[in-house]
Amino acid sequence: GLILLFYLVFYGFLAALFTFTMWVMLQTLSSDIPKYRDRISSPGLMISPKPDNALEFYFNKSDAQSYAEYVSTLRKFLESYDDLKQSQNINCTPGRIFDQNDVAVKKACRFNLSDLGQCSGKEDKTFGYSKGTPCVLVKVNRIIGLKPEGEPRIHCMSKEEGMVEINYFPPEGLIDLMYFPYYGKSLHAHYLQPLVAVQLAINSNSTKEEIAIECKILGSPNLKNEDDRDKFLGRIAFKVQMTE
Amino acid sequence: IQDDHKLSASELEEKYGTSIDKGLSSARAAEILARDGPNSLTPPKATPEIVKLLKQMVGGFSILLWIGAVFSWISFGIQLAQGAESPFDNLYLGVVLALVVILTGIFAYYQEAKSTNIMASFSKMIPQHALVIRDAEKKELPADQLVVGDIVEIKGGDRIPADIRLIFTQGCKVDNSSLTGESEPQSRSCDFTHENPLETRNIAFYSTTCVEGTATGIVINTGDRTVIGRIASLASGVGNEKTPIAIEIEHFVYLVAGVAISIGVLFFIISVSMRYKILDSLIFLIGIIVANVPEGLLATVTVSLSLTAKRMAKKNCLVKNLEAVETLGSTSIICSDKTGTLTQNRMTVAHLWFDNQIYSADTSEDQTTQPFDQSSPSWTALSKIVTLCNRAEFRPGQENLPIMKRVVVGDASETALLKFAEVILGDVMSIRARNKKVAEIPFNSTNKFQLSIHETDDPNDKRFLLVMKGAPERILERCSTIMINGKEEPLDSEKAEAFQTAYMELGGMGERVLGFCHLYLPENEFPDTYPFDTDSMNFPTSNLCFVGLLSMIDPPRSTVPDAVSKCRSAGIKVIMVTGDHPITAKAIAKSVGIISATSETVEDIAKRLNVPVEQVNRREATAAVVNGMELKDMSLQQLDEILCNHSEIVFARTSPQQKLIIVEGCQRQGAVVAVTGDGVNDSPALKKADIGIAMGIAGSDAAKNAADMVLLDDNFASIVTGVEEGRLIFDNLKKTIAYTLTKNIAELCPFLIYIIASIPMPIGTITILFIDLGTDIIPSVALAYEKAESDIMNRRPRNKRKDRLVNEQLAVYSYLQIGIMQSVGAFVTYFTVYAEQGFLPSTLLGVRVNWENNAINDFEDSYGQEWTKYQRTYLQWTGYTAFFVSITIQQVADLIIRKTRRNSIFQQGLFRNKVIWVGIFSQIGIALILTYGLGHVTALNFTPLRFQYWFVAVPFAILIWVYDEVRKLFIRRYPGSWWDKNMYY
Repeated sequence: GLILLFYLVFYGFLAALFTFTMWVMLQTLSSDIPKYRDRISSPGLMISPKPDNALEFYFNKSDAQSYAEYVSTLRKFLESYDDLKQSQNINCTPGRIFDQNDVAVKKACRFNLSDLGQCSGKEDKTFGYSKGTPCVLVKVNRIIGLKPEGEPRIHCMSKEEGMVEINYFPPEGLIDLMYFPYYGKSLHAHYLQPLVAVQLAINSNSTKEEIAIECKILGSPNLKNEDDRDKFLGRIAFKVQMTE
Repeated sequence: IQDDHKLSASELEEKYGTSIDKGLSSARAAEILARDGPNSLTPPKATPEIVKLLKQMVGGFSILLWIGAVFSWISFGIQLAQGAESPFDNLYLGVVLALVVILTGIFAYYQEAKSTNIMASFSKMIPQHALVIRDAEKKELPADQLVVGDIVEIKGGDRIPADIRLIFTQGCKVDNSSLTGESEPQSRSCDFTHENPLETRNIAFYSTTCVEGTATGIVINTGDRTVIGRIASLASGVGNEKTPIAIEIEHFVYLVAGVAISIGVLFFIISVSMRYKILDSLIFLIGIIVANVPEGLLATVTVSLSLTAKRMAKKNCLVKNLEAVETLGSTSIICSDKTGTLTQNRMTVAHLWFDNQIYSADTSEDQTTQPFDQSSPSWTALSKIVTLCNRAEFRPGQENLPIMKRVVVGDASETALLKFAEVILGDVMSIRARNKKVAEIPFNSTNKFQLSIHETDDPNDKRFLLVMKGAPERILERCSTIMINGKEEPLDSEKAEAFQTAYMELGGMGERVLGFCHLYLPENEFPDTYPFDTDSMNFPTSNLCFVGLLSMIDPPRSTVPDAVSKCRSAGIKVIMVTGDHPITAKAIAKSVGIISATSETVEDIAKRLNVPVEQVNRREATAAVVNGMELKDMSLQQLDEILCNHSEIVFARTSPQQKLIIVEGCQRQGAVVAVTGDGVNDSPALKKADIGIAMGIAGSDAAKNAADMVLLDDNFASIVTGVEEGRLIFDNLKKTIAYTLTKNIAELCPFLIYIIASIPMPIGTITILFIDLGTDIIPSVALAYEKAESDIMNRRPRNKRKDRLVNEQLAVYSYLQIGIMQSVGAFVTYFTVYAEQGFLPSTLLGVRVNWENNAINDFEDSYGQEWTKYQRTYLQWTGYTAFFVSITIQQVADLIIRKTRRNSIFQQGLFRNKVIWVGIFSQIGIALILTYGLGHVTALNFTPLRFQYWFVAVPFAILIWVYDEVRKLFIRRYPGSWWDKNMYY
């Protein structure tokens, strides 16, 4: 009996101590930006839609069911980029870092969905999947305070020549500097990260074949894309296989 | 059974194809040697080295680690088949685990082998030689080259090199004590005196010693076929029991393995029922096993034991079997030999009686003067007799040695008298030269005296001096006067009475008493040229003048009484087992304190109360002197009763065989028994005892082989220092284990919380191995250097059934209190690292599946930033490092609190044990190297860590210290309280 009471008190005390130290520790943190950002100095790349397990797209262009999930994912992903949702966002000066350090309320820059052209989902509700020109959106991971240098752009290539023709929206896969830097979830609630749509016009004689595609971020000296260990740092590789 | 003792010399020559004058030919000897093998005892069959090595690799925790390794390889196989991304992690983990087992196994084997080697080299230290006649030439040969039929010559001081049928003897006496336990030398002759070859006088046995005289004989048995060889091989039949520490460690291994397996299985079931994949659950199981098993501990225990063994070797206790180190500490009964162990193994003059008064002489080992009153002229007369009536001589060339250490040619009592005289008078040999001996009758057993006649060194005194010594009653018979204060007075009945009283008193002290008398022969009757003839005895041998008595004893070693009283306060019963006469045994027992001054035997009580022995209540007597004859007729129950009811016991006139019975009796009482022995016949008892202690100087090889420990100086006091070391190491092993077990919880909790709360893995399996086999090793060995907390020789020996090495309190306190505190401290660091990098604790809960998904490379943290898989993994490694560092920091506190179990650290002194500080610095040093030096080696999963994270756990480390101080304070304040019972380990 006594022993149970002892451990109740003992563990109660330890739990209280744990809670207290954690509380003290959390008090030292800012709710806006993390204390250290050295573990993510350079952003990773990611695509949407993202197939379930590995980054491999399999679909039949004549079977709507086979790509329905990709389409709905894209639709959902682009919901926040809808013009109506961006009413609070402002039009920023293209090509320049949008520094708001001195401003208490950070504004988000408008990202026009129409910039994504055929991949915006406005004209083609299937994002090209039904036509054999599937769209994949490439996004740059959000990192607080990151200011890319130079003219960053997304460039993709297929390992095998001639299987696929790649189109970029915005043209040349440019990422506008005005979307940087990011100020964090709490300060920059309406922030939209810039997107680059990659449209893959798959050659008609290359159907049924697996096409490996690698996209990299280029044109910016401070964004890494060649890390040995991190295969997603500034680059992303995925595969597409389309049947008819 | 051979009948060589019945054969005549010529029959023997024929039987063995040899010649007494010429011996064997070398060629023939070589043939026989090839047939019979060398003349040496086959050492007991040793376990093959490879078996020893393999045993080390499957014993203890190794099985658990092998299971872990096999599981790792299984999951590697499965993952490889499934084509997962990094299946090699598990392959490596399995290899590392296997390596850990193999390396610790090799290490433990090496430690064992090292201590065995000390022994091996030891037994080879004294090569034996024998003087053999071969090819009609005398040759000195190594004793193991002897063959049956060889003619060997032996002389006083030699060890008999084989079983020998004597064909020529001259005053030959052998000491058969190693064979039969009889301590009196036995004379040998060429005559067939007894049917039984063991009793007949014309056979000398292998490994006994020739005390005096010379002899020649034919070798009739060699090696294992000798009588001793047959006994020695019997001894190996007595089973070797597990040592107490081995039982304790086994118990501890079962305990930890039980915890590991039950937690492992429990969480395997939990994780399967939480819908984890079987493969993942299997990997968790490996982690739990690795976290639970203190991989480095058994190696640490071995090192601690061998450190103690080394320390003991310095104090003259050579330990053959490492585990015996602790056995000695738990000893509750020591059965000790008398001669040589308790005593100095040499006769020494202890008392003198002259002028109607008893004087005590100094019997210590390094006497240089004698303090008793030497002014009386009677002493001058007595000293003259002692000097002159003595045939013993110093071997030449020892002038620089202390007198007591010089080698003497002569029997034990004459040696004692010679040294006694040399100490007091100086240069005995020149005194003898000045008093030229003109006639002499040596001692023989019929007349029981020794006589010599000398010229005197006084040039004015032309008389001859006749001096005589011998059995006191025989000497007194021949005297008509007695010297009192230098004057000859008539020996009346009153004076005879005084003599009788003194004689009885000295004899009652167990001493051998000699009487001395002299006579100045009248010059007119015995002129210068008088032809003394010892055969016709043409000189007076009666009406002499009695001068005094000298009594001798083999005195106790001066360190023994202290050692015995130490044993007594340490709750160890010392039982004397000797072949000597009960009176001598009792006297020595009293003088060393085995029988204390106030206690009485049944016989003493009977004498005091003046009633027959049968009427005495046996329970009133605390002491008992048991004669070997009585022991022979006793039932086991009666023996048990004696061992139980008397606290002070002496067994006298016992044979080595009876020693075994006594040891078994003690073990029936549940005691841990240490036995000393030197003879071959002692080897069964040495084997049977929990710890057999052989004598390094007097001990036979067979005894040394059977023993667990060898006393290099044959001194009982060395056993006591051994007991002290043994007890200390038991305490310190407790501390080491408590220290090591604690962090296992801090290693285990991460896995459990990882499974239940699905947070990112807080610590890796490899990292755990780095704690167990890296940072923690030196500190846990350092605890072996800790000094005792209180006088460990003031408490009772541990009860092997109750006082466990790892008891419930130790496990509970380490696991459920300090271990949990450490875990809390480490988790605070872990959460701090994640929170400061952007993952607040609330975000971490339940993220495991996505966190570990290789396809998710935009994992969002609490601030909206997105992380790739590798960035997360790297952060996870930072978490491992932080967790590792926190455990290390808190282990420093753990190390400090484990220095004591009851006393405050400040009572013990923080700096007395310097090795602890070596441990602390090594611990932190290794952690620094791993973190900053090897932080870039991916496979090790360490990353350089921000410096402030080293200090997050410091408050918890301080808390651990303070908490433990409070625990100890309450234990000291409230002994016997609830707190004491539950918190003292």
